[in-house]
Amino acid sequence: MTLITIGLLALITFTTRYLFLEGKLPLRLGPNVKQFLSFSAPAVLTAIFVPILFVHDQQLDISHTNAYIWGGLAAVMAAYKTHSVYWTIGFGTATFLLSGNLP
Amino acid sequence: MAAATKGALDMLPLSLAVLPWGILFGSLAIQRGFSGLEAQLFSAVIFGGAVQIVTVELMSEGAPLLTVLFSALVISSRHFLYGLSLREKLRTKPLRWRIGLGFLLTDELFSLSGDRRAYRNNYRLYYALGAGGSFYLAWNAWTALGIIAGAWLPDLTDLGLDFAIAATFIALVIPDIKSLPILICVSVSAILSIIFSIYAMKLGLVVAALVGMSAGFALQKLRQVR
Repeated sequence: MTLITIGLLALITFTTRYLFLEGKLPLRLGPNVKQFLSFSAPAVLTAIFVPILFVHDQQLDISHTNAYIWGGLAAVMAAYKTHSVYWTIGFGTATFLLSGNLP
Repeated sequence: MAAATKGALDMLPLSLAVLPWGILFGSLAIQRGFSGLEAQLFSAVIFGGAVQIVTVELMSEGAPLLTVLFSALVISSRHFLYGLSLREKLRTKPLRWRIGLGFLLTDELFSLSGDRRAYRNNYRLYYALGAGGSFYLAWNAWTALGIIAGAWLPDLTDLGLDFAIAATFIALVIPDIKSLPILICVSVSAILSIIFSIYAMKLGLVVAALVGMSAGFALQKLRQVR
């Protein structure tokens, strides 16, 4: 059963990646669908990373000892200022590690 | 060959950035009761970090198959957009190139595809193959490390490896927030995703993303009407 599920998941991810690279596909997306899809990357990525920062063991953690928030803030600032993947991950992770032992 | 090497070198920082993430996935899968072979198979045939981590959690909680598949579809739906924006460049290329590069089309490879001349000639195709292929090998190597580590060490997920996921996605999302509708979309997704994960809703990620997308889309439409 696990192997079948893995196979189906592989089929889904491959289909989402390949579908529009198929030249014979007659489908043309309307401007509304395109506009709606243009929000999918930021929406999905946000819905994945925000709970990592704020929710631990199903509890909202907004105390000053939450290193994930400090690291996240640092990463957001670096991303906003530099638009660079390396600075964002570097500065964010360094802040995360350094604020891990706050009293 | 030179082109493929250059692609691999340009991808190297991102290949390294997903090291903690690959280790996290491999060890998580082991700790959730999957065999080493199954865990490696996830990375070998699905090849998507977010999808793999979310579906491994769902499957180990015994979520219904449809919930697992639907979540995977929504998480992967951003790839429709990547394919769409590369369509004009790749649709006339031979099938083996389209299938190969389609399989390798991750967030990371797409972020290297912004150049106007990307995929135009053979040099550019081999460049993309080197970038995407090396990233695939790295992801699978890091997964293998995680599988080995997960069998020996206690819960690696407590080490803060998941912060690497958050940092990578912050790097991809923040520079993308160029308009008010996108800001609203991201804010709605963020708030809902927090609420849903506190209540551990299985489709929480999906609903948060879809409502966020709808909010951004609605605001954009509203502004066009005026």
